[in-house]
Amino acid sequence: MEKQKFTDRFSTVFADQNFFKKQKRIALKNCGLIDPENIDDYIFANGYTALATVLSEMTPEDVIKSVKDSGLRGRGGAGFPTGIKWESTAKQVNDEKFVVCNADEGDPGAFMDRSVIEGDPHAIVEGMAIGAYAIGAKKGVVYLRAEYPLAIKRLQKAIEDARKANFLGKNILGSSFSFDMEIRLGAGAFVCGEETALMNSIEGKRGMPRTRPPFPSVSGLFDKPTLLNNVETWANISSIIVNGAEWFSSIGVGKSKGTKVFALAGKITNTGLAEIPMGMTLREIIYDVGGGIPNGKKFKAVQTGGPSGGCLTESMLDTTIDYESLTKAGSIMGSGGMIVIDEDACMVNIAKFFLEFTQSESCGKCVPCREGIKRMLEILTRITDGEGQTGDIEKLEELGNMIKKASLCGLGQSAPNPVLSTIKNFREEYEDHVNNKRCKCVVCEKLITYTINDKCIGCSACRRSCPVGAIAGLPKEKHTIHEDLCIKCGKCFRSCKFHAIDKTSIAKEQK
Amino acid sequence: MYILYTFRNILKIGVAMGTPLCILEEKRKQAKSRLEEIGYFSDTKIYIGMATCEIAAGSVPVMEIFKNELKNQKNIYISQKGCAGRCNLEPTVEIYQKDKEPVKYIQVTPEKAKTIIEKHIKNGEIITEWMGK
Repeated sequence: MEKQKFTDRFSTVFADQNFFKKQKRIALKNCGLIDPENIDDYIFANGYTALATVLSEMTPEDVIKSVKDSGLRGRGGAGFPTGIKWESTAKQVNDEKFVVCNADEGDPGAFMDRSVIEGDPHAIVEGMAIGAYAIGAKKGVVYLRAEYPLAIKRLQKAIEDARKANFLGKNILGSSFSFDMEIRLGAGAFVCGEETALMNSIEGKRGMPRTRPPFPSVSGLFDKPTLLNNVETWANISSIIVNGAEWFSSIGVGKSKGTKVFALAGKITNTGLAEIPMGMTLREIIYDVGGGIPNGKKFKAVQTGGPSGGCLTESMLDTTIDYESLTKAGSIMGSGGMIVIDEDACMVNIAKFFLEFTQSESCGKCVPCREGIKRMLEILTRITDGEGQTGDIEKLEELGNMIKKASLCGLGQSAPNPVLSTIKNFREEYEDHVNNKRCKCVVCEKLITYTINDKCIGCSACRRSCPVGAIAGLPKEKHTIHEDLCIKCGKCFRSCKFHAIDKTSIAKEQK
Repeated sequence: MYILYTFRNILKIGVAMGTPLCILEEKRKQAKSRLEEIGYFSDTKIYIGMATCEIAAGSVPVMEIFKNELKNQKNIYISQKGCAGRCNLEPTVEIYQKDKEPVKYIQVTPEKAKTIIEKHIKNGEIITEWMGK
């Protein structure tokens, strides 16, 4: 029947490619299949059936029950059961309520939300209209990053087209239900992806988190009950209504139902977006869907959840993808970033990268996050500069755990995760940096020694490129680098065409 | 009074017939006829990836080539599409032909696009080495 077509259209087009074989598309069901700027294409692909079904045959209670039974959980990362959120917002008695879509995708390397909005904007419009019907809201807001101009354009067009076709506006499809929505642009602050900071930002205040409780379902946007969900969560709603809660809950494992979209990035053969059913193992994603590590390199770690998540090692590759298992393994589901790291990467440096990000994105409202992360970053910088002191690793752990416990919002509570998980899984690398002043992977600049080997033909290209005159040697004779003068800028390494310069990191004697 | 009563009843029936699902069905028919007008049901359909990522990989000139070269061809529908998720293989182009398996070309450049038009669209030769695996 039509129902079957709805989700299977994707596999009939793409199933012959290994990359898509193991995927199951629900949130991305139309991405790559329809013209996102043509509402007719969406309607013809069974679009707005869910909204019409809800308005014709279901009471708001039925809708909430359906979402609850489906077992759908928040796809923004924390995994709060969506149905319960809907129910508690619906219970509130207030003349005005809001539905909000969180499309402030800030994780470095993540682009799931952008793809959904650019590929299938009407799915968000439809999902939000259904949510609004269920909780009794009349107004919806999509908080979208200003960095996504094409997504803004397409969603704006989708909203206008939907309004013209009476999928939005007054008395939608001849029913008594009225609902309209608008886009609010975010200026690219990572903290505004946090729900309370996001609402502050929509209200025109500074993007800083509020204390909870009261939760947004009680007092959210403009102090009204607000239902706030992530793009991917909204994109799942129409399929749940059309195909039924049972169908949705039959996909997945344990308490995690349905699918999750991951943005595969880093050292992986097939970079891209993959929507996989919950319960698949990390190994299957990385090797079967992702095609493994390129250039014959060895797998070292996989980072899930962006700057809030942790690094998982090879021994954890058989962890299944679901909220509980990933948390147990020491990472989080997160919004769907998945960065694969190969043997060439220094874990201390990666932890430093994420911490630099969270440190600059901290809003500064609460002390543990503002001061604590800064101190952690200072220690990490010290370690990667070869000035690590005994006890630094322990200090990082102590600070990290303190920040996690004492911070106000998710940013601070999760910011130490990359550091803590790399300390847990790659402690020897930290110790190597601190005790031996050595970076095994030859990444941390200050710990690198440049030497010239016998391949040198004396072309003097390196000597001329050196900004501090640390290289000496006569033309056509082997050159030498004065280590005391070298500032480790790497210019000579890049200028040499004969592979005559070695980049090594040698253990230094302990002081 | 009676007339008013009957009138009200007729109105009620009218409302019952126009459930949102019926209205949607009506809209779907209209959408179908509009799609027919723009050639959606052509024997050959060409979809070109036009999300931010695909545009960054160079899909705009590819789109232009397909549009310009096939301007005067009938029974061909060219459309943009969102991102299917194959970042390292973009820009992607999919060609659906009636009663045939859809063909997916990867990393399409303007030059490749011209060859695809000449070989595949005009002569029905599928260029297997440019297809995704």
